Amino acid sequence: MSHDRFRNLFRAVATDVHFWIPLCVLAGGLLLLDKLR
Amino acid sequence: MNSSSPGVEAAATAVPATRLRSLQAVGIFCGFAAGAWLGGAEAPIKLVNPEISPITVSFVMVLGVFLARWSVPAFLRGTSHLRHDVRQAPHLVIWAVLAGCMWAVANTLTIYAIRNVGLSIAFPLWNSNSLLGILWGVLLFNELHYAGWKRWLGVLGGAICMFGGATLLAIASSHQAAPGKATLGIAAALGAGILWGTMYIPYRKAYLTGMNPLSFITFFTVGELVTMLVLAVSYRGAGMLWSELASARTVLFWLMLGGFVWVIGDLFQQYATKYVGISRGIPLSNTNQLWGLLWGVFVFHELQGGSRAIYTQVAGGSILMALGAVAIALSSAAEREHSSWQEAADREGQRYNVENEYVRAGMEGRAHGSVSNSRTVLDWLLMVGTTALFVALATMARLPSMEIGMAWAVALTGAMLVLMAACGITLWRTTRFR
Repeated sequence: MSHDRFRNLFRAVATDVHFWIPLCVLAGGLLLLDKLR
Repeated sequence: MNSSSPGVEAAATAVPATRLRSLQAVGIFCGFAAGAWLGGAEAPIKLVNPEISPITVSFVMVLGVFLARWSVPAFLRGTSHLRHDVRQAPHLVIWAVLAGCMWAVANTLTIYAIRNVGLSIAFPLWNSNSLLGILWGVLLFNELHYAGWKRWLGVLGGAICMFGGATLLAIASSHQAAPGKATLGIAAALGAGILWGTMYIPYRKAYLTGMNPLSFITFFTVGELVTMLVLAVSYRGAGMLWSELASARTVLFWLMLGGFVWVIGDLFQQYATKYVGISRGIPLSNTNQLWGLLWGVFVFHELQGGSRAIYTQVAGGSILMALGAVAIALSSAAEREHSSWQEAADREGQRYNVENEYVRAGMEGRAHGSVSNSRTVLDWLLMVGTTALFVALATMARLPSMEIGMAWAVALTGAMLVLMAACGITLWRTTRFR
């Protein structure tokens, strides 16, 4: 994969709001797990 | 909603009605098969000594999951398809890994939940993920758009019905909760539900863009394994983890078997998500609670000695869940709704620069490009290596001294195998596992 395509790919993911929803939920899950252990 | 928008008209002609009906039927069948296998996957965990850390339990399960997620696709189609999918839609690798990380954290939370409040309470709480799945499906992926009030009623009413049934089952078995640990257990179960409910965003994202479920899960599992490895080593320490694994060698087989069984269920769930969407696929696969109940009551003798009121609640809850599932199964997407899914797919394709024909072929379960179906050396190594490891672990495995209804265990396993074979054959005939 060329450097440009790689950069475009990450830009498309990072600017996709759909990406941030699961990422925030994952962070919350990790915090909860840390409280439980 | 404008029913005559040009995009809808154009997309509506893309999938022939008979093909759409076949795909919807196979998706719904996959949802029910997923329920059986996901429910059965919890059974082997019941055989594990509660003194083993939940992190270690989850880590070993994920090892089983990892092996299954690579060997099952190798068996079904060969791994050559992976390269083709990655070339077409490389962004989905990121989504798959993210979903895998979420699964690993959710799975660990469920073990805390089972330990603290019991399977019967934990199950319905984390199965609330289906309501969240419907929300994401409607908000982000045009699901239930142009569906009409009857389908809305069928899907939402069915999901609420299932949730109500699940709650009844939870109340019925609440006497099993360990005192003082209920809050932690409930928090863990709800956390798992939210994680799993949101994990369906990457799932839907992948399948709208045409990825094959067999490719998605192979990257998904990388996220799972890495997350669990990091959690296990950072929480337990490498030395402690190793000694715990060594001392738990008699139960490693059951844990890894649980992971393997879970993967079969998840694979059906992935196909259900692909062909009927998350708003229908996830509630249907949540019939796993009924299967979990069957395993709990008949094989592990849970609820034994309960009052008539408890059994009435269990029967009522189960009937509600079954009715909810039937309502959803009868509310499959019609052509107009499917066309709005295609609009969402087009949006994804444009954002990530995916070839339109690849997206359409994926949605319709047909071939794209010429990919070799032959097995490579890597495929055979995966299949033989996984089988050998499971055989080796099985020789070390011991059944704990607990009362187990073996006849019921055999009957339920038989039912699961029959469902797997029937659904697998239907899936093969309709989509060639695409």
